[in-house]
This record gives sequence, structure tokens and C-alpha cells, in this order.
Amino acid sequence: MILVWKIWGAYVRLTARFPSVATLMPFVPVVGLWALVAHLELFPKVFFPSPLDVWRSFIDLTWKGILPDYLQDSVVRLAVGAAWGMALGIPLGVLIGMNRIAYRALWPVLLFLQAIGDIAWLPILVIWFGYGLVTMTFVIVYTVLFPVVLNTVLGVRSVPPVLARAAQSLGAGRWSVVWEVILPGALPNIITGLRNGLGYGWRALIAAEIIVGTSGIGFLMFDARRAGSVVEIFLGMIILGILWYIVDSWVLAPIERTTGQRWGLVTR
Amino acid sequence: MKGLTLRHLSKTYFDPYSGTRVDAIHDVSLQVEAGEFVSVVGPSGCGKTTILNMIAGFLPHSGGDILVGGKPVKGPGPDRGVVFQSFALFPWKTVLDNVAFGPKMRGVARAEREKIAREYLAIAGLSEAAGRYPSELSGGMQQRVGVVRALANDPDVLLMDEPFASVDAQTRMTLQEELTRIWAEKRNTVLFITHDVGEAVFLADRVVVLTKGRVLDEIKVGLPRPRKWDDANKDPEFQRLSAQVLEKVRAA
Ligand SMILES: Nc1ncnc2c1ncn2[C@@H]1O[C@H](COP(=O)(O)OP(=O)(O)O)[C@@H](O)[C@H]1O
Ligand SMILES: [Mg+2]
Repeated sequence: MILVWKIWGAYVRLTARFPSVATLMPFVPVVGLWALVAHLELFPKVFFPSPLDVWRSFIDLTWKGILPDYLQDSVVRLAVGAAWGMALGIPLGVLIGMNRIAYRALWPVLLFLQAIGDIAWLPILVIWFGYGLVTMTFVIVYTVLFPVVLNTVLGVRSVPPVLARAAQSLGAGRWSVVWEVILPGALPNIITGLRNGLGYGWRALIAAEIIVGTSGIGFLMFDARRAGSVVEIFLGMIILGILWYIVDSWVLAPIERTTGQRWGLVTR
Repeated sequence: MKGLTLRHLSKTYFDPYSGTRVDAIHDVSLQVEAGEFVSVVGPSGCGKTTILNMIAGFLPHSGGDILVGGKPVKGPGPDRGVVFQSFALFPWKTVLDNVAFGPKMRGVARAEREKIAREYLAIAGLSEAAGRYPSELSGGMQQRVGVVRALANDPDVLLMDEPFASVDAQTRMTLQEELTRIWAEKRNTVLFITHDVGEAVFLADRVVVLTKGRVLDEIKVGLPRPRKWDDANKDPEFQRLSAQVLEKVRAA
């Protein structure tokens, strides 16, 4: 028992020195189990490749340049979609959150459109825009837009009115109130919306690539299925997980730490 | 510095859902001279906040006039600084940026407005806290920032709505003493709202007793300045005035 505590203590100290260890360590048993199952050949090898097979395929596809290209395609599509989603969603959310008439006019429509869901649009989009970039971008923007709008509205409405009054009494005009009070006050919610939006958008992108794509990680996986290459499907799935982890811990989490948490608006 | 005039001010709240009307302010006339410190005291629900919100421009008034320096007010504006009971500091701005906010809205350049903010923070003994966020300060310190933020914008009239009601009793006395000290330096026109009789008398040149939307009485306070609680508590004149005001408030 004491030994367990000692090992645990050493592990905690190690992760304090090297935080990436804390990220990677939990995957060691997962990969180990995977390797074991593959090694024992509980399933036929063509259906259940080993970690080493996937690693080889990763090297191979990277070497050929396919993987970097596809990865770039997917990430750029997501980034462009997210940028549009924010550029449309934040102003729309602020408008709906601040203006009673806009709220009454648009809120039911938003809830209705949100319910249709992202890939449920694909059939009609394919007819309108064909198999290609426009269709995929539309789906991602659509998916990112709603969580951003809905959360921005919530955020705007959660800003205490007394703060806007304080700003006005210090000489702030309408736009200054929006810029100096409403937006920063709503920021924690906006980031939550963005986090959800990116998560949904990422999944929608993969789905869209599978259905209408000619490149990208989703396409890679679907193409591999056609070729019967289980290894590449595994590879695609792992890359999806890793990419999301990177977006979350390198982009979203730092923004949250330096805004809402620092200001005491959200507790950790 | 400018004076504040209320002429036959009235306010009727209308609730569109229940269709009921509440006559919160019936007929209030009041003159606050330029550079005068006036306390308005009265029981809870007598309309103190309503009056202040109308002067600040947060609420439209139903009748009468509100004049600052002889000019009618229209909506909120920087000529009327407000100190809120809930402090209302911007959580995403440092103490320095909070205090520099008014000058920023006036278009004062960054270096200049930070200089102004630092001067005012120094007056309130807050220089150390300049780089901190409001959530990292105690309630008493937050309200010091609230007062200084309003003053740094150099308003014609300073409006305060029970600003010290939510800090502990000891801190409250310190803040009251500091307020009299700072005010003695700046001599702003102040309308200070409270339900605390001792506070009203301690701070003001004149105490206005409000009841059910009407002015019941006014009492002049001629106590020497700067004021300290240790002196005030021993001063029979302070005792007498407090008793007099308390009597009026209780009759209200
Ligand atoms: N928004 C409102 N709608 C209807 N009645 C209100 C509203 N705000 C205040 N009142 C009423 O107006 C009266 C005065 O309230 P208020 O100005 O808050 O008093 P005080 O600040 O002296 O406690 C009270 O009877 C209160 O119920
Ligand atoms: Mg009140």
C-alpha cells in the first residue's frame, strides 16, 4: 500500500515537471490493451490491426504526402467555417440578446433551424451546390453558428444591467457599451458556444467529407473502407481524437484561463 | 461645479402585465447647491432609489423637472457620476482600467488617463491594487474603487445609492471617514442616499428626510470638517442632530 502511494507521489511530481506526461500516461494502458488484443489475434488481423500497423501506415501516408494534404484540407475547412460562424454568430447573438424585438422575431426561427441539424441539410445542399467545398463550408458554418448565437444571447443576457448603467454614467455611448461591457461580459459564454460549435463542426465536417468529400480526413477514412484498409480507418479515427485534443488544450483552454477565470466570472 | 435642482418631480410605475400603477414619487422639490453634500434618508420603499435613478437618467420621470446647472437632464451622462450599492465594477478590467474608464470615454489618451487614474487611486490609498482585478479585492476596497472611478471622471454631481450598505460595520466607518476627507478636497456636489440616520448626519451638510415619495423635512448639519467617528460619537451636537433626524424618519 505504501509502495503504491510512493509511486503515485513520484508520478505526481513527474507530471508537475512535465505536464505532457500527464496527457500521455492514461493512453499507455489503452494502447497496451489494444496491442495485446491484436497480438492474441482475437479478431482476424485484417479487421483489427495492431498499433504498430497503424504507426507504419501513418509513416507511409505522411511520406507520400497524402496525410499532410488531407489534414490541411480538413483543418482549413474547419477554421474557415468557424471563422464565418463566429463572424456571423457573435453580432447576431449580441443583437438578439440586446434587442427585445429582434429576440421575439428571431429566437423561434433559430430554435427551429437548430433542430434541423447539420447533416440533415446535406441532401438539399448537394442538389443546390453539388459535391464540393461550398456544401461542406455551408454545413460547418451552419453547425458552428447556432451554438455561438445561442450562447452569445445567453451571455449578453447574463451581463448585469447595472454594468451598462455604470458605463453610461461614465460617458459611454451605445457602441462603447457593446464593446466595453456587453462583449467582455458575454465572453465566457461565447467561448462555451465556440467550444461546442467547434466540437459539432468537427464532427459535421468528417461526416460531410465522408458523404460529399474528395479529400480530408473523413474522405481518407471512407476511401479506406472502399479499399478495405482497416488500418487507415483506425489511423483516421486516432487523428481525429488527437486533433481535437490539440484544439482544445492549445487554443480554447488558454483563452478561458486568461478571460473568464482570471476575471472571477467563472469558477474553476 | 454645478448645482442640482428637482422641481415637482414625480414618478408613476406602470406594470403592463398586471395593469397596476404605483405612485412611487408624488411631488419632490429639492435644491442641492454647487459644492454641497446632501443626504437623503428614509425608510425602505420610500422612493430613494427611484429618485436617484431618475436623476442618473436610468429611468424616465413622469412629471416635473430635473436640472443640473440649470439644464434639464436627458438620459445617463458623465455629468452625473454614480456610485452603486453593488459596486458595479467591470470585472474584466483592472482597478486602474476601471478608474481610467471615464476619461477613456472622454477620449483622453492612454498615458494621460492612466496618470489621472493613478492620482485618484493614490488619494484612496489604492495604489498597490492598480493592477489587480475587482474579484481579487475585498468589498471595502471594491467600493473605494467605485467611488474613485466616479470621481476620476470629474462629474458635476455625484450620486450615491447606499454605497456602503453591503460592507461590514468597521469598514463602513472607515469608508465614511475617507469619503468626508476626499470630498473636503474635491468639493463635488453630492446627493447621498441612505437608510442609515447616523451615516446621513455624519457625511452631510444637510439631511433631507423622505417619506412615501414626499420630502418630510430638511435638517442643516453644521458640524466641523474633517469629521471623525471618534469625535462625532462624543459630540453632543452630532447626537442631538441624529436623534432629531431619527425622530423624523420614524414618524415617516
Ligand atoms: N420597477 C418597479 N416597478 C414597480 N414598482 C416599483 C419599481 N421599483 C420600485 N417600485 C416601488 O416604488 C417604491 C419605491 O421604491 P424604491 O425607490 O426602490 O425605494 P427605496 O430605494 O427607498 O427603498 C416602492 O413601493 C417599490 O415597491
Ligand atoms: Mg433603494
